[in-house]
Amino acid sequence: MPLNPAYRSLFSARTAFPSCSPAGMSMDMDRTPSATQELTPLLRSIASGDRSALSALYERTSAKLYGVVLRLLPNEPDAEEVLQEVYVSVWRNAGRFDEQRASPITWLCVMARNRAIDRLRRRQLPTAPLEDASDVPDDDPSALDRIEAQQDSGRLRTCLDELDERPRAMIEAAFLGGSTYTELAEREGVPLGTMKSWIRRSLLRLKGCLER
Amino acid sequence: MSSTPINGRDHAELAAEYALGLLEGTDLERAVELARTDLAFRSAVDRWTGHFAPLFDTVSPVEPPARTFKAIERQLVGPEAGYANDNAVGLRQQLNRWRILAGGSTALAASLAMLLILRPPGEIAPPTTVAGPPMVAMIEGGQGAARLVATWSERDRSLTVVPATVPAANAGHAHELWMIPADGKPRSMGVMPDGPMHATVEPAVAEMLAEGVVLAVSLEPAGGSPTGAPTGPVLASGKLQRA
Repeated sequence: MPLNPAYRSLFSARTAFPSCSPAGMSMDMDRTPSATQELTPLLRSIASGDRSALSALYERTSAKLYGVVLRLLPNEPDAEEVLQEVYVSVWRNAGRFDEQRASPITWLCVMARNRAIDRLRRRQLPTAPLEDASDVPDDDPSALDRIEAQQDSGRLRTCLDELDERPRAMIEAAFLGGSTYTELAEREGVPLGTMKSWIRRSLLRLKGCLER
Repeated sequence: MSSTPINGRDHAELAAEYALGLLEGTDLERAVELARTDLAFRSAVDRWTGHFAPLFDTVSPVEPPARTFKAIERQLVGPEAGYANDNAVGLRQQLNRWRILAGGSTALAASLAMLLILRPPGEIAPPTTVAGPPMVAMIEGGQGAARLVATWSERDRSLTVVPATVPAANAGHAHELWMIPADGKPRSMGVMPDGPMHATVEPAVAEMLAEGVVLAVSLEPAGGSPTGAPTGPVLASGKLQRA
């Protein structure tokens, strides 16, 4: 079966500034330590309430984040709304950014993706009772606080390359495009069980490779 | 929630699937629940997210519409037409007060900074300034024997929380106060000092402190929840009611 063209472009696309992986270690030879050097102080200024820093950060990162959001939410009004939410959230949560754990752009991309996924899946998520104080709010930046900086993002590329083309493309489509198992199975015209076992097997191999 | 026993291997698989966004329905619910309650699961999800983050490199940038930033700026404007950063001064004053109450501890700073986050977006209706009689919440009945009394006066936006019985937090832990307004999202009100706590609350926060709002105390790592959401057990909770 031919590879769905929707996936094929994923790895051929040239990386554009700024790269969404830790400084100087992006997969696509787009080494942008200057991005981190610029963005980290901006986030610090935002945390102290500097609105011009937010504007500067927006100028440098909004096209990248809009690209990330649009992949998940192709409907532009939705994507635009989510992009707004992302920067409002950045304004409020910039103080939580920890450069030891993630590059600024990774942190921002993950935040944008989380917001967009949240919008995509909102109806499927269980609703917790009001009194449940341990409920995780939907703008919970906690996941962002815990993203470990990847020491070697080139490793992912190497490990993905060890997978077969189709499962690899599907893993990318899930992460970037928000495709669920069901959607992937439908798109590829295979039973759900087959799709699950393809991906699970690939994830297992990926894990083995990443931890090698 | 499904009570099917899940072994470690299944958890690892589920964490990867959740991080990738593959899940739906009951599997998604199970993962969300685990992410809420199981630290190891959450760490596994985070590790996978970190692994996949380099994929963002392949996304081409797209210029958002020119109007977008204006729309963002509008949402930064608070109900009193001040920007969130204008609060920095008031916050610092509050911080100093809290520091005095807490015996000069600066560890509070991280969680007090949360108060800045509490300002809602500008589209929320301006505050009504009708100040009724003070409200009271009996904060009790969670895990452990903690019992506190909160008094909230809208008139001067003053919140006082007096512990009646609060088992001391072990070294490395702290008690954190949360409010859960009508939208169901817990907002940190800061780490509790050892004795009574008194704070003047931001107008935007004050707006949310209405009758029926839940106040809760959770057990957190020293310095407060690292995530902005409660991470430990809820020690006590109670609703604000008219005195």
